[in-house]
Amino acid sequence: MPEDKEQPLIEADVVGRLIGQPLLARFPMEGTVSGHHRSPHRGSSVEFAEYRNYVPGDDIRRLDWRVFARTDRYYLKEFEAETNLRCYIVLDCSGSMGFKSEHGIRFDYAKKLAATLSYLVINQGDAAGLIHVNAQNNKEIPPRRNASHLQLIIDSLNQSHPKGETKLIPLLHELAEKARRRALVIILSDCFCDRAELRDALQHLRFQKHDLALFHLLDPLELDFTFDRPVRFVDMEGSQSIVTEPATIRAEYQSELNRFLEKLQSDCHEFNADYRRVTIDQPYDQVLANFLNERAGRNKS
Amino acid sequence: MNALDATKVEHMSFIQENILWGLPLILLPVIIHLINRMRHKPRQWGAMQFLLAATRSSTSHSKIKNWLILAMRILAVLMLLLFLSRPLVGGWMGWAFGGAPDVIILLIDRSASMESRISGTDKSRRQYAIEMIRDAAEKFEDKSQIVLLDSVTRKAQDIPTASSILDLPDTQPSDTAADIPAMLQSALDWLMDNQAGTAEIWIASDLQATNWMPKDSRWQNLMTSLNSLKQEVRIRLLATTQDSPMNTSISISELARSHAGETDEIRLMVDIKRTKTNNDIESIKQTINGVTTELEAKVIGQTTRWRHSIEVGAQSGGWGKLELSADGNPQDNIAYYRYNEDHPIGGLVITKSQLGPLWQVAASVATSSGRKSAKLLKPNEFSKSDLGEATLIIWHAALPEGDSANLLREFINEGGRLIFFPTGEVNTTRFVGLGWGEKQTAEKEPFKIGRWDEDQGPLANTDEGLLLPLNQLIVQQRQQILGQAAVLAAFEDGQTLLSRQTIGQGEVYFCSTLPLLTWSELGNGMVVVPMLQRLLAAGSSRFQQKFMTETGKVSAGDMQLEWTSVENGQRGDLNTQAGVYQSADRWLVLNRPANESELEQVEDKVVAELFSGLTFQLFQAKRDNTSLQSEIWDKLLILMLIALLIEAWLIRPKINLESDATTSNPLPKITT
Repeated sequence: MPEDKEQPLIEADVVGRLIGQPLLARFPMEGTVSGHHRSPHRGSSVEFAEYRNYVPGDDIRRLDWRVFARTDRYYLKEFEAETNLRCYIVLDCSGSMGFKSEHGIRFDYAKKLAATLSYLVINQGDAAGLIHVNAQNNKEIPPRRNASHLQLIIDSLNQSHPKGETKLIPLLHELAEKARRRALVIILSDCFCDRAELRDALQHLRFQKHDLALFHLLDPLELDFTFDRPVRFVDMEGSQSIVTEPATIRAEYQSELNRFLEKLQSDCHEFNADYRRVTIDQPYDQVLANFLNERAGRNKS
Repeated sequence: MNALDATKVEHMSFIQENILWGLPLILLPVIIHLINRMRHKPRQWGAMQFLLAATRSSTSHSKIKNWLILAMRILAVLMLLLFLSRPLVGGWMGWAFGGAPDVIILLIDRSASMESRISGTDKSRRQYAIEMIRDAAEKFEDKSQIVLLDSVTRKAQDIPTASSILDLPDTQPSDTAADIPAMLQSALDWLMDNQAGTAEIWIASDLQATNWMPKDSRWQNLMTSLNSLKQEVRIRLLATTQDSPMNTSISISELARSHAGETDEIRLMVDIKRTKTNNDIESIKQTINGVTTELEAKVIGQTTRWRHSIEVGAQSGGWGKLELSADGNPQDNIAYYRYNEDHPIGGLVITKSQLGPLWQVAASVATSSGRKSAKLLKPNEFSKSDLGEATLIIWHAALPEGDSANLLREFINEGGRLIFFPTGEVNTTRFVGLGWGEKQTAEKEPFKIGRWDEDQGPLANTDEGLLLPLNQLIVQQRQQILGQAAVLAAFEDGQTLLSRQTIGQGEVYFCSTLPLLTWSELGNGMVVVPMLQRLLAAGSSRFQQKFMTETGKVSAGDMQLEWTSVENGQRGDLNTQAGVYQSADRWLVLNRPANESELEQVEDKVVAELFSGLTFQLFQAKRDNTSLQSEIWDKLLILMLIALLIEAWLIRPKINLESDATTSNPLPKITT
């Protein structure tokens, strides 16, 4: 895809607009160094956390002497620790991600999202990693914080192509087990797989206390199914084909699709995953801006 | 479809049959449909799971619709092809999808019964059948060899043009009976000799049971042979079973000359059969030696045996005919006969019992020189005896075997009569399938006669209509008659008193009791004498067969002679025309076969069973549409238009399709 290579995955004006808003985790993260994100541990940030009774062994320098003066009791004033973020970007590289319409190619859209998110994460000092999910083999770039790592991610994105059946679900289970520390997992996929299995995989990730964001990428053509003459639909992940009169099955198709979307969304809502349905005719910078803003807003509240 | 069902389908044939070769074109819509499927632009699609789910649930309805559309298109093409091939319905040709056969063999029944007029027309069944066959065969005469095989000659002859069969001598009326199995055998022989390709056998017949003989053993062999032929053989039967106007037939079953006082008389037994009973008097024109007089016969019911005596004085011999007035079938209105100077009749008694003299007297014959007793022989003398003048043999001894049995069979075949009386001994010997069973003695009440045939046979009523006194006959002992035979008289308990078996021209009787007082009161002569006298007279047919026979049964030797009709002095065709013929000093009386007067017809089901295994089509002229074939292309055109209209309605675009297609999907809202 030569034209894809010509178009940069990271656009300067987009990141310029987005850079002001940090990407924040919705839950405490376990980082290795200090950063912008809440930690489950107490630390030395300016954010007050709680008072607790002094127990022998505590550093007496952390005693709140004012409280002692008022109450004659030993209390320690604790502050929230702030740590850095480990972000895994999971990119579905199955055949269906290569869906193409007048609005563009779904995979290209996903790559732009992945690249920009990686940039934003690394730029704010957090670690970003990338996992390609493919039928043949899964390629994983572990999360790192250094700027050169971003180039690695960009190169990897440039080389990836959508092909074969999706292996998203086993990968998510594997990731849930493998990532021992709490992390932000951003999934970019069309989710054309078994909904119940996907639900179990997402739940597994959440169970491991990872912050989960699912970008459900859909093409408007897939949603509206606007064909005016019989079409032979060829499966992008198999050899099956169906000749049908779209007009006759449109209502049924949309009803099936909407039922799926509704269920997937309610599943995500149930275990507090950040579900984002994205139609690829939307400007991706807008999608990302909304994503960042909503997270920032949630954190403030 | 079995043969019987085939008779119920609407019959159709085609003028432009070649167009039917285009029938595979009905697959055109299917092919177009398949090509169209290939033509659809392929679209790479990711959300296949929803598409599959949608097609699964919604296609049952749309599949039916698609099949209907396809069916309508096929139907439209089919109707177009049928329309172009100009189909004809009605008539007896039926479906002709098999195309023209290589050979068509026409089996024409020319028997006398085929001359019955069809009600409401002046045509005979034969004429109707031949016209139908001509009309049908005309369409095939360019493509198929047409062979005619008539019921009289049973010889195959090629027919150059279908129209010529109307005037051929071998399709004209005859006084014969048809033998359908023999005709089919001739057709089979022809097919085998000529190694013909696909063949159709068209049979035109009135399904008269005596012509078809459905129980004849030849049918089985015939069907086996036809089925085993390499080529395909189809049978079409045109059954001319239409209603006919009232018809009466006449035939002479017995003729005897007897001396009554000083003058001789000819006693005729005349059978009169009517299809309907309307009056009791039938007027008959009697011709004796060219002199015609009018007679009236009293007729009761449908079948009457009328006894008629003609005084002939001292005439040495002569001929006569009885003729009915014109009716539904002109071919069965005349019966011819001839009487000779001397009709020798005589009895022969075979017994060694003491009843011998009684039999001799009972079977005595009146001659000009007084009564002549029957000849008496012992059973062991019989095989060497000369049966010369015998017309009746009374056998009161153990049943015959070996040479005696053979001699008796020959005697009966010639037309003689034979009656057996019981000896009281049980024996396993059988004669013509009949034998003696156990002897039974009445315990308290004597055996009484329950019923007997009062119309015909030796126990029939007298000329004056008086009953023989069988109801007063007391029987103390009887011997059971074993085997299947016609029962002429039976006891009240159902046991047989007198049974009859017909063999060739003659008859065999078994009487189960004796004219001995220990057995029965038969000895008083009121029953046994008339019975034996009648049998004596009936047996004289043994001597008449030399000059009285049936049309179509003239011996090859006689056929060589030149015969002149006594009636009109012209040469006659002995194969087809009944009449009295003379050749030098030889006389020959030919009558239509008596069984041609039988009214029984073979049922459709039975005919279909006869032809089981072959492609068989029965056209019942009585039941099926007899109107001429008519073209139905206009109806097919309408059907085609209807099919196209339905198709157009089914494929009409949905009214809201355009607006639907542009409306975006109302997606479920995302809740946060």
